[in-house]
Amino acid sequence: MKIVLYSGGAEKENRFLNQRALELTGVDVPKVTFIPSSSYYAEEDFKYFVDEFSKLGVQRFMHFCVDTPFTKTLLNEVLRSDLIFLGGGNTFYFLKHLKKHKMFGHFKKFLKRGGVLCGLSAGAIVLTPHVHTASFPHFDRDENPWDMKNLSAMRLVNFEFFPHYKNSKRYDDELLHHSKKSNLPLYACPDGGGIIIEKEQLTFCGKGHVFFQGKKFTISNYLG
Amino acid sequence: MGNTKLKETKASKETAPYGKFKEIDGSHPLKKNIPEAVVEYQVRTRHGGQVAFFNFDLARELGLIPENHPDEFTKELKEEILKTFSIVIINEYDQMNNFNYPKEEIRPQTYMATRYLQLQHPCKKGTTSGDGRSIWNGQITKGSKSWDVSSCGTGATKLSPASNINKKFYQTGDPTVSYGCGYSEKDEGLSSLFFSEVLAKNGLETERVLAIIEFQKGLAINVRVHENLLRPSHMFNHLKQNNLPTLKRVVDYYIDRQIKNKVWKNVPTDSKSIYDYFLNQVMETFAEMSANFEDQYIFCWLDWDGDNILMDGGIIDYGSVRQFGLYHHEYRYDDVQRWSTSIKEQKQKARYIVQTFAQIVDYIKNEKKKSIDDFKNHHSVQSFDKRFFDYKNRNILTKIGFNAKYADFLLENCKKEVEDFRSDFTYFEMAKSVKGPQKVPDGINWNAIFCMRDILRELPQIFLSRGLDGKISEAEFLDIIKSSYATKADLKRSLRRDLKIRSYQKNYLKLVNKVAAKFKVTPEKAMLDVSMRSSVINKYDRVTGDSITTIVQKVMNQRPKLDAAQINEILKEFTSYQNLNPDKDRKPSNFETEKDQSKLVKGMLQIVREFRDGI
Repeated sequence: MKIVLYSGGAEKENRFLNQRALELTGVDVPKVTFIPSSSYYAEEDFKYFVDEFSKLGVQRFMHFCVDTPFTKTLLNEVLRSDLIFLGGGNTFYFLKHLKKHKMFGHFKKFLKRGGVLCGLSAGAIVLTPHVHTASFPHFDRDENPWDMKNLSAMRLVNFEFFPHYKNSKRYDDELLHHSKKSNLPLYACPDGGGIIIEKEQLTFCGKGHVFFQGKKFTISNYLG
Repeated sequence: MGNTKLKETKASKETAPYGKFKEIDGSHPLKKNIPEAVVEYQVRTRHGGQVAFFNFDLARELGLIPENHPDEFTKELKEEILKTFSIVIINEYDQMNNFNYPKEEIRPQTYMATRYLQLQHPCKKGTTSGDGRSIWNGQITKGSKSWDVSSCGTGATKLSPASNINKKFYQTGDPTVSYGCGYSEKDEGLSSLFFSEVLAKNGLETERVLAIIEFQKGLAINVRVHENLLRPSHMFNHLKQNNLPTLKRVVDYYIDRQIKNKVWKNVPTDSKSIYDYFLNQVMETFAEMSANFEDQYIFCWLDWDGDNILMDGGIIDYGSVRQFGLYHHEYRYDDVQRWSTSIKEQKQKARYIVQTFAQIVDYIKNEKKKSIDDFKNHHSVQSFDKRFFDYKNRNILTKIGFNAKYADFLLENCKKEVEDFRSDFTYFEMAKSVKGPQKVPDGINWNAIFCMRDILRELPQIFLSRGLDGKISEAEFLDIIKSSYATKADLKRSLRRDLKIRSYQKNYLKLVNKVAAKFKVTPEKAMLDVSMRSSVINKYDRVTGDSITTIVQKVMNQRPKLDAAQINEILKEFTSYQNLNPDKDRKPSNFETEKDQSKLVKGMLQIVREFRDGI
């Protein structure tokens, strides 16, 4: 299983992770698909995505929205990609539409076949067992106007992920509080950082932290 | 002394930021120069109005408000808008019945209703037709550019069809007649507003809504602006009446205005050639406009009277204007007494308008009017036919996603290849449902079945993914292109259809390869560029006429009621999203753009999606 979780940040900050994700495909001319969390202005995000990955030599791109109807033909083509990148945005909205179109099953098959699945921010959270980390901290959380109750997600990893982490007391207070109630470790990464998972092995990029059972640990071994 | 002067200037600027509104007082050069082309009315203040909308961006462009004016209302601004536009004419009925209005409510200047030809009038010469419920507020000038301002819903004039059919003058607001009562409604104004702003954002010439003043019972005055509000029908009436002096003066006025507004350049100065130049401009405008309408699926009900269109090809009167999601080329609007033209007949109507202008120019130059039939094969009409297809060729390349440089090269060097592809494209675009003609709420349609935007958006991506030698199967092609109107029977394969599917892909790739070879980029790079542009141009959710109508209902029914500032905000958000220009400025992104669209706009986009294939 090849997965890359990105915290977020500007394109440049993520170049190392992008490079690593492409290497994981093991293909010289990889086919890359961008799936935004919402089709709203997604073409603009796609342009930036292409700009950045083109610099790394990618030429074959697809753009696929899950919140607008799509054809079987396009979906099949997307699943033939070497790398699928789930964008950021509102986690609840993204989750809702991924579930509506039963995308989890498709992604699992995609991973089984050797594809690389990447997610940035909301796109990373939906790869974990549930999306609770999108609901806090209270000063920077995703809105859930749909009042989604079932927050279970793809369960591709057995930890929680907290993107855009800033090493400060106000973040720590909320993350520590959450970790007391959860029996999963919570990995928090700053922008530009992330986690690379290959064959069950986790590699950290950037200075991350783990919150577990009310305690905070700093991950000392990381790339970048 | 110097200091005192400076202080005075500053003070007057601060106290009178809306001084420009005073220019809009009914005065207009047309009224002064060609009085027989207009009917003048005294106007008085209409009370009870509220500003339902004000277009801040447009007002800044016109210089009505300072450049740095925020999108916020001040008490003074609201008062100025109402003072300027909340007016009603004192019409023939009022005069016959000796209605007395307080002197202080009557404006010093008269305002004009213009005369023009209209097919729905009994008199086919335009002696009695024109602005039936509108008046021109005047003209605004900023620098060397000027704009006409007119308002709809300002009272019943003697030029309305009702007045002439029933041979009587109507009291403004008479409930026994609808259009003839001289009022207009708020939903008309909002429809025009949303539609025209979307089309303007996408580079089409159109009237634009400056303000909406609302009154009780859903009534409104809708204020519209354009650089030049003259229509062909403003000239056709004088032609039909064999009134050469007036015809010449209107044509001269139009030419002069286009020169002053710097729309036309390098205009010849000798009196004969200038009319040839004028004719050529009209021909170009109408060839481009009719090709654009056809390719962007804009239904505008063009007809021989030249009423529903502006001289510069701009759209006016959104009542019957629509944008289809598919090429519904059999749709006809039912106007009770007649059926409208269809979208594909618009070209013939535009051609006939050019033919009429050829007649006009000949009449002016030779002072003798020949029959319209004598101009059937006039060189301007022949040029129209040629230029129409030139514009169609450019449009198809733009729709594919080629940038201007690539398109110029293909048009110049690969015309046959472009036309071959256009022929394949048209085959699918024209396909209709086996169900046959169907009644729709306001007319009749024979549903188109294929969504060309979808194939233009998705095909380059699949080519990129599979490699440029990996074609898509016939079944896959139909899966992508099928619209919500297509039934199982509509999607039946045939030898001809299969051949066309192959030909479409072959000719598409040929164009991409030509560009790649010429500009020394890999075909994949050229395809990627096309794919990126196409994803914006052929966005999944593009507005249609039905979606605008439904959106306006949603805005009207919103509770609590939306105020003018809120409508302005929503409009900006909505039209920005509907801007399908791939070259527009990009916002910075980190693949997680702030998706902060308001709840209402979200609902509006849902409507757009729902009606995306419709009329």
